[in-house]
Amino acid sequence: MSPTNQRNDLEIERQLADFADQVMEGKMNQSASSVDDELLGLEETILRLDRAFPKKIIEDATSKQMLVRLKARMRREEQVEKPSFWKSLFNFQSSPQMGMALAVLAVLVLAVIAAPVLTSTTGTATGTASSSTSLPIVAGMVVLLLLALYWFGRKK
Amino acid sequence: MTTNYMQTTTNLPVQEISDELLIQQFKDGSKEAFDTLYYRHLPRVHNRVRYVVPESDVEDVTQEVFIAALKSLPSFRGDSQFGTWLRTLTNHKVAEFYRKRGRKQEPQLAPLSEALSHMTGSTSQTLEERIYIQRALRELPDNYQEVILLRFAEDLQFNEIAELTNQNLEATKSLFRRAIAALRTHLE
Repeated sequence: MSPTNQRNDLEIERQLADFADQVMEGKMNQSASSVDDELLGLEETILRLDRAFPKKIIEDATSKQMLVRLKARMRREEQVEKPSFWKSLFNFQSSPQMGMALAVLAVLVLAVIAAPVLTSTTGTATGTASSSTSLPIVAGMVVLLLLALYWFGRKK
Repeated sequence: MTTNYMQTTTNLPVQEISDELLIQQFKDGSKEAFDTLYYRHLPRVHNRVRYVVPESDVEDVTQEVFIAALKSLPSFRGDSQFGTWLRTLTNHKVAEFYRKRGRKQEPQLAPLSEALSHMTGSTSQTLEERIYIQRALRELPDNYQEVILLRFAEDLQFNEIAELTNQNLEATKSLFRRAIAALRTHLE
């Protein structure tokens, strides 16, 4: 680009910016008046933009009403979003740690309850292999329980 | 604005309390601080949205901007100015609006009568022109759209735009000219 063209470009840019400033200040709402064709077209575009979007000042009362509506909407959204305690407790997908903790707890409780019963029933028959025969049963139950929990977790 | 003075640790008039201090007060539990931020930034957010979103959806999108701001404020670290952060949030919400709307229908195909019912004192010709310009604006590259919105929707001076975009004044005016030229081409 030659220095003359560059100077010309800078001049157009400066004039266009000044024109936009005057339009925004409300001093230039009639028509574009440049003798340069390119600048004239750009000024007309600015005027078109300004006419399509006249300045709009939000009055105090409107702002207040909008804030009231905003707060009402937020309250509504909070109520919709807030899940119940039990629902959130059993929502394993959103909190897998909680699901895992509950599963481990359930397995422990089941093992504690089932172990003495299994021990006593097998113990009377053989008298010696009570603990060794109950262990595979407990382990099987644990596996079944874990599978059931995994399956329910996936279904949700 | 109804409140001229806030019940705060400072006894400054509301206008003199910085955004940063208001955010801190909000984090400390002052709901009034958010109201002040809302009143302070509503005109700019609303006007920016008005330039790119159909009239009937302007308030809805504006609300979404402030709801998102309210939810994110507790984690706002102040890396950028609140106004800049809010501007980015506004752009995201406008983009989200068009993503959601695009799944349902093309915005420009919305019935004119429906849009007109939301506008008081506007002729159908003005409305058609506005829809036409909004579409052209959305088709512009981001930096072109941004400089036009900063100057017209937010009424920032060129030196303020230059500072905000980390450019010198000449580069900003040059960008503005290219943006208007591109808009003109889209409108032809």
